[in-house]
Amino acid sequence: MKFERVFAVAQREWREILRDRIYFLLAFLLPVMLMLVFGYGMSQDVENIAFAVVDEDRTPVSRDYAHHFIESRYFSFQGYLPSANAADRLLAERKLRVVIVIGPRFEQQLLAGRSGQVQTLIDGTFTSSTRIIQAYVEAINLAASTGIQTGYLARRVGLPPERAAGLLHPVVLDVRYLYNQEVRSIWSVAPGLIMMILMLVPPLLMALSVVREKETGAIYNVCTSTITRAEFLTGKLLPSVTISAINAGILWLLATLYFHTPFKGSLLFFAFATLLYILCTTGLGLLISLLVSTQQAAMIISLVLSIIVSIQFSGLITPVSSLSGGNYAIAHAFPAMYYNAVAKGAFLKAVGLDVLWPELLLFVFYATAVFFLCYLVFHKRTRT
Amino acid sequence: MSPPATRTVALAQVWLRQIAVLSLKEIRQLLRDRALFIYTVYIFTANIIIAAGGANNELRDAVLRVHDADQSHASRDLIYRFQQPRFRLAGEVGSAAEALRLLDRGEAQMILEVPSGFAESLRRQQLVHVQALIDTSQANTGYLASSYAARIVARYSEDWVERNIIRAGGDPRQMPAIRNELRVWYNPGLNNTWFNTISELLTMVTVACILLPAAAMIREKERGTLEQLLVSPLTPLQIMLSKLLSMMLVMLCGTTVAVFGIMMPFYGVPFVGSVPLFFALTALYAFTNAGLGLAAATFARNSAQVGLVVLLMVMPIVMLSGTWTPMESMPPWLRALMYLSPLRHYIEIAYGILLRGAGFGILWNSVLPMAAIGVALFALGLVRFRRQFV
Repeated sequence: MKFERVFAVAQREWREILRDRIYFLLAFLLPVMLMLVFGYGMSQDVENIAFAVVDEDRTPVSRDYAHHFIESRYFSFQGYLPSANAADRLLAERKLRVVIVIGPRFEQQLLAGRSGQVQTLIDGTFTSSTRIIQAYVEAINLAASTGIQTGYLARRVGLPPERAAGLLHPVVLDVRYLYNQEVRSIWSVAPGLIMMILMLVPPLLMALSVVREKETGAIYNVCTSTITRAEFLTGKLLPSVTISAINAGILWLLATLYFHTPFKGSLLFFAFATLLYILCTTGLGLLISLLVSTQQAAMIISLVLSIIVSIQFSGLITPVSSLSGGNYAIAHAFPAMYYNAVAKGAFLKAVGLDVLWPELLLFVFYATAVFFLCYLVFHKRTRT
Repeated sequence: MSPPATRTVALAQVWLRQIAVLSLKEIRQLLRDRALFIYTVYIFTANIIIAAGGANNELRDAVLRVHDADQSHASRDLIYRFQQPRFRLAGEVGSAAEALRLLDRGEAQMILEVPSGFAESLRRQQLVHVQALIDTSQANTGYLASSYAARIVARYSEDWVERNIIRAGGDPRQMPAIRNELRVWYNPGLNNTWFNTISELLTMVTVACILLPAAAMIREKERGTLEQLLVSPLTPLQIMLSKLLSMMLVMLCGTTVAVFGIMMPFYGVPFVGSVPLFFALTALYAFTNAGLGLAAATFARNSAQVGLVVLLMVMPIVMLSGTWTPMESMPPWLRALMYLSPLRHYIEIAYGILLRGAGFGILWNSVLPMAAIGVALFALGLVRFRRQFV
């Protein structure tokens, strides 16, 4: 392989990219757009839940209970409502997601050592966030209830509060969140998005490149020249890989600086793994480009393939372990799933080569295999 | 009637009949375009069924491993309360280091650590801490895991409390407690399929409303038949209206099949509100989006490009309008921007009518902005179309 000839092809390809304004825009704008759209679109954080309180008791104890919710960082207090009827309409209008109705004689009941009645009305339209809201409400209610009970025992039996707490809840669960200490959705989404976008855009850009020459007939110049197959393919790959590597850098900056996702692992390891992954996905695009004869077909095939693989079979939304038979096999046949583990590992888990070396080895093998396949498929002498 | 008035009526009749004939032609053409027709049938039928079984953010079979340093009857009692379907007990780990390694490799989602002396402390009525290490690299299921774990531990705790209170000289029946009764409205059983199928329907209605008119227009453009239409007595407005009306009809048929043929009979999705209101507003939504589709057709040269342009338009609209993710968690500037998305308003309308039985009195502040956006978009489509062809 002669480097000058590879370089010549690459340079020519690069010029073509620069001159095609739409393509150039697509190459750099599309990844950023996808990152922003999906970054916001896939964040499932349940926060700023609009809620109101109907206080039928109006006592210090009931106000204190309401305050437990008002002070929570998940809820956004919209005010007190006069009656449950007013709440109905506001829930129907979607002005409120949650209404807490504190029953009459709340304070009286609790002071007498009986149970105080509260009702929480939750808008169940969005089932997944409703589940989270239920969990928030239960946790806050438990804390408030425990507070009341501790005070009661202290008054009645004269137990010191710490002792009373031990009596009431002898077993305490300390939860330690690993990898995503603040349980922020975007922290888990951003690394997955880098995987998805680098599966989507490089093949799309690459898929058009050889087909374009086939459509214009410029491919015959290549066929009649002295350049070898491997030189031509490498020259074609280089500019696309370079563009995608720059994009990967931009995506990494977006994830860390704009979405504030922590990056705990080794940047060198991540950069190296990302480059290998880009080689794999760009190679897939090249393969598509060699196999089809029109730009339309190349675009559609590469888009459909990458969307399906990166969204359904990569662990982005559903974990790969929960896929069944055939789907499980498909997931393992593409690099997206492995890179998902690499990105999550490097961003959140601070793991590197020591844990993820099999994935890296796989990328090397995969890229080589794809390139070899391209080499086999591409012929300078076209079949007639 | 005076002669000029009769003449106006007659002209209007001709004008309308022209649109009707042209609309019929569009529907025939769609029926003959096999690929697009199959796709249209697919998105309103099989696709809805697939979505029904789709992702739900429930916690299911979370892999749990235990580090039980106590090995007592009490600790085992606690551990065996972590049961399916939420958790799947996958055995014990020997050490804390091994636990971390399993979490790193993703082979466990949660580790429960019971300290030694657990049973002893319980017996002595001392506070005992149990630790849960939870992998939150999937944020929401991680939070749910911690919430369910806390619930299980609290219940376990309660079983000890009663005994403790008696020992402390209290009466377990004489304890204050706040009973918070959670009532979920509009979807009391928290049935995921309701949400999944409705959201998918809204997504697909959006796709159809943009793609179908765009495809109808690009077909003429590709084949050069648009010139024929333009030299005919038809005005650009008539050409656009006929494409809009015919595709709106197709989309409404699809919605009818999806709602009455699939979602209600098979998944029990309720239809609380008024059926005519729902379809009237869905038609209005189709009008709102058709302008976008027709504009997309003016940007593209062939059907593959129009597919790409539509994809680029639909993606942000669907992702950011609150179809699949709650709007509350988005930053204020984005929420303000998405006020311009017709889908954002249509979501309020569709969920409002289907699940909450909302009438026009509640929905008007979604309907008005949607109609306004629709008029603006249709004008945009018309302007683009005129500039390109007339």
